Amino acid sequence: MDREEFIIHAEREQEALRGFLLALCCGNKCDADDLAQDSLVKAYLSCAGYQDVGRFRSWLFKIAHNTFLNHKASCRTMESIDDAKTLVSTNAADAGFQHQSLYLALRTLPPKERSAITLFYLSGYNIKEIAQITQTSEDAVKKQLSRGRDKLRVSLSI
Amino acid sequence: MEDKTIEELFKAQTPNFTDGADFMARLTKRLDAVEYIRQYQEATLRRYKIAMVVAFVVGIISGAFTIAFLLSTPADVPLLTFNVQKGYLLWIAQNSRVIVTTALSLLMTIGTISIFSNVQDIMRMRGSMRTLQ
Repeated sequence: MDREEFIIHAEREQEALRGFLLALCCGNKCDADDLAQDSLVKAYLSCAGYQDVGRFRSWLFKIAHNTFLNHKASCRTMESIDDAKTLVSTNAADAGFQHQSLYLALRTLPPKERSAITLFYLSGYNIKEIAQITQTSEDAVKKQLSRGRDKLRVSLSI
Repeated sequence: MEDKTIEELFKAQTPNFTDGADFMARLTKRLDAVEYIRQYQEATLRRYKIAMVVAFVVGIISGAFTIAFLLSTPADVPLLTFNVQKGYLLWIAQNSRVIVTTALSLLMTIGTISIFSNVQDIMRMRGSMRTLQ
């Protein structure tokens, strides 16, 4: 895949990628966009080894998922979740979300559960595909989804 | 398996990005920078390799010449002679063959260590480029 071809693919997938990372970053658009940029640069650098023809989005999400986990591991947040309730977003993309409660609920989930839930509900992947993207077993994904769902139900009071 | 309420919540909250062009412009700039760094790294690696090959060839040729010179001179004739007959100069002249051989061995040892270290550097650079990719 050459540069031009990569840019065409990236342009087509950037919204889905940013949406996925925005949910993982619980509505923090700056972090989500930075991670999306990092993921795309990483993808560009390794696109010579890209072989899954026709599965560019899954491949990109795999890179984005790893980038997100590395980012989470490198910066330990010390802020309380309760503080987030008082934050008022000025971002246009955030404003697009009518209910910030989902982000707050997602924030209570550990990164891996958050990834599984986001890939399943937002991106529409099935368990097998999620297992491939997150490089875990299908059983692990099922557990993550089950736990994540339970936690979301509690957080969202549904 | 599926929880409709959560699914609907996610569907209702799908973000809409309006700054796609800005995002792509930023990405293109970053890709340009990455491409520049990659080309620079590759050029450095290439130069490093050429320098290594040149040093290796020069070392082999000069080493061969020195050994040939040492072997071609009679064993009982000193390699170095000084007109001044001072104590330490006389000692150097008498032991010139041993001194030159020792110096040559030392040089070859240092050269070998240096080549080994350079090869390791090249492997590391190649490894870091692969990691970057």
